[in-house]
Amino acid sequence: MPTLLLDPATEPAILAGFDEAVLETARQGENALLQAKRTAAFEACSLIPNPEFFHEEYRRMDPALFRFGNFKRLDTLPESAQELREGDDAYDAVISVNEKGYAILKKPDIEGFQLCSLAEAAAADPDSLEQLLGTAVVPDQQRKFFELNSAFWNVGFFIQAAKGVTLEKGILIRYELEEAGSALLPRLVLQAESMASFSIDERYTSPDGVETLCLSTHELHLEAAADVRLVSLQDWGSDGIHLGEDWSRVKRDGKVSLFNMTLGGKTSKCTTGCDVCEENANAYLGGVFFADGKQHFDQKTLQFHSAPNTYSNMLYKGAVKDHGYSVYQGIIQALKNCVGVDAYQTNNNMVLDSTARADSLPGLIIDADELACSHGATMGNLDEEQLYYLRSRGIPEGEARRMLLLGFFDEVIDRIPFEALQDRLHAVIAEKFES
Amino acid sequence: MADLEIINLHASIGDKEILKGVNLEVNKGEVHALMGPNGSGKSTLSSVIMGHPDYEVTEGDIRYMGESVLEMDPEERAVAGMFLCFQYPVAIPGVSISSFLKKAMDARHPEGKAPAAPFLKEMRENMAYLEMDPAFANRGLNEGFSGGEKKRMEILQMMMYKPGMAIMDETDSGLDIDALRIVSKGVNKLKGPDLGLLIITHYERILTYIHPDHLHILMDGRVVMSGGPELVKQLEDKGYDWVRDQAAATV
Repeated sequence: MPTLLLDPATEPAILAGFDEAVLETARQGENALLQAKRTAAFEACSLIPNPEFFHEEYRRMDPALFRFGNFKRLDTLPESAQELREGDDAYDAVISVNEKGYAILKKPDIEGFQLCSLAEAAAADPDSLEQLLGTAVVPDQQRKFFELNSAFWNVGFFIQAAKGVTLEKGILIRYELEEAGSALLPRLVLQAESMASFSIDERYTSPDGVETLCLSTHELHLEAAADVRLVSLQDWGSDGIHLGEDWSRVKRDGKVSLFNMTLGGKTSKCTTGCDVCEENANAYLGGVFFADGKQHFDQKTLQFHSAPNTYSNMLYKGAVKDHGYSVYQGIIQALKNCVGVDAYQTNNNMVLDSTARADSLPGLIIDADELACSHGATMGNLDEEQLYYLRSRGIPEGEARRMLLLGFFDEVIDRIPFEALQDRLHAVIAEKFES
Repeated sequence: MADLEIINLHASIGDKEILKGVNLEVNKGEVHALMGPNGSGKSTLSSVIMGHPDYEVTEGDIRYMGESVLEMDPEERAVAGMFLCFQYPVAIPGVSISSFLKKAMDARHPEGKAPAAPFLKEMRENMAYLEMDPAFANRGLNEGFSGGEKKRMEILQMMMYKPGMAIMDETDSGLDIDALRIVSKGVNKLKGPDLGLLIITHYERILTYIHPDHLHILMDGRVVMSGGPELVKQLEDKGYDWVRDQAAATV
């Protein structure tokens, strides 16, 4: 049905609530770099057709479910007074965001470590920031929501670790929405210089029954031998809608670990892409998702190998029950002459009820010889023989089922560098399983 | 009344009847061996005793300490003191040995929670006795284990749970001599007045390590011959055809 497609030349693709007037509001009072970037992103966004149900990517996730008309972009968030909470001492740095504003509650006093708002970063060193904005994106991708966020983000942070800077405990970022109709567009840009190493624990929460929209992006730039771990937990209440688009670029000997944990909310669509762009660069993409009730989750990954002898390993594990529906689609792409690539892509699904559905579409695009790529997907329920084995040892059936499901997810969860986050994941998974 | 009584046991999987009236009695303090050719129903018997959901008991009874276990779930049988040493223990990646053993010990504890420190001490001691690498405790259950390592894991559990009645389903199959020695060492340590053992095996070899008091021969779903340790030697010399002829003669 190509005739239904918008002609971008004549009819700009504007999503409800994100028009030129709103763009003007967003630009107000900003420095020249950020203003220019917003305008450029708005133009780029307008040239990309709106997602439609009949587009291949949205056949399994009707964009009408994003309900753009129900939300209003929160004005760019000001700094606000907030307080540290119990548990915050487990982190080197803490950022807290809600509808009223943002607060950087704590940051380590380490030379060479910078954590600030995007506005501050732009004011301090616009030329350096310009090199980083939008440049982690893998080329030739459909990036409607990335551009939308780049034009309309309403809270933004910049993290930079200079050569060799290491954080022992990591960074906590919490996004908390409480009011129906709020649209939050967080943007995180980070740069880890050579041999820098740190982890980020990111949580998204809202109360049950409150319809909220979050459209987030992350841009990660890793220089030689940098090591960055980013864990995002969508722990939204029953009516949260989440769109995410994350890109990272990893140079020689660097390693990025991106964990996408989708448990809460009503609808979620996330894209995670990484470009391992110099020799011996390495990316790990870990995913955990569990759709129950009527939850509908869609995840997309791109392991992009633009240099020879690069590595990536993707493992997404999901469960569905009740009328839950999950979609995984992903690609490993290796450019011409990228020999010696070693890439894995695995998606395992537990279909716990016959009323639930899980779709899995792994794929490869390979233009090089002499490399090792493997992809695979599995669908199944809890293994009856494993269950019998545990029961024959005295473990009650309910407990045995719970152990098997947690064990299934632990292959990913065990790699998360935050114990408190692991505990939270176990608790939420067990609760969903037993509900 | 024996501690474990199997009375005229008939069991089927789907429409196929495998056990056709098994009678067997094992008391605590005794070691029984059950032998039989392939397809005689040996493994089915062990599965049915432990309550595998795929098998249906159509007639007869299994009683442990005077109580029928047929209506009991596998976990209830286990907590009551029955133990099955699996022929092919499954691997469960993601469930570590230490957390698995802890849950199994919790299930046996009167308050539902086995105290951690004594549990860990006992686990480490038993692992050392079975010459297992202590690092195994953090590995996924049977994940990537060799045949011998899996069987040691079974014996380790037996040492932890201290069952009153253990059924060992072809524990010796696929073991090299070294592994067989260690497994036998574990079993011999447990032997005593509080444990009844039913060793199901295809080969006589294990019986030179663990000496049975009684030997039974299972054929076509029935125990066709029982005797003392001397029967092992006779079976070795004359084979199952001789048993088959003897059984035919007595019918």
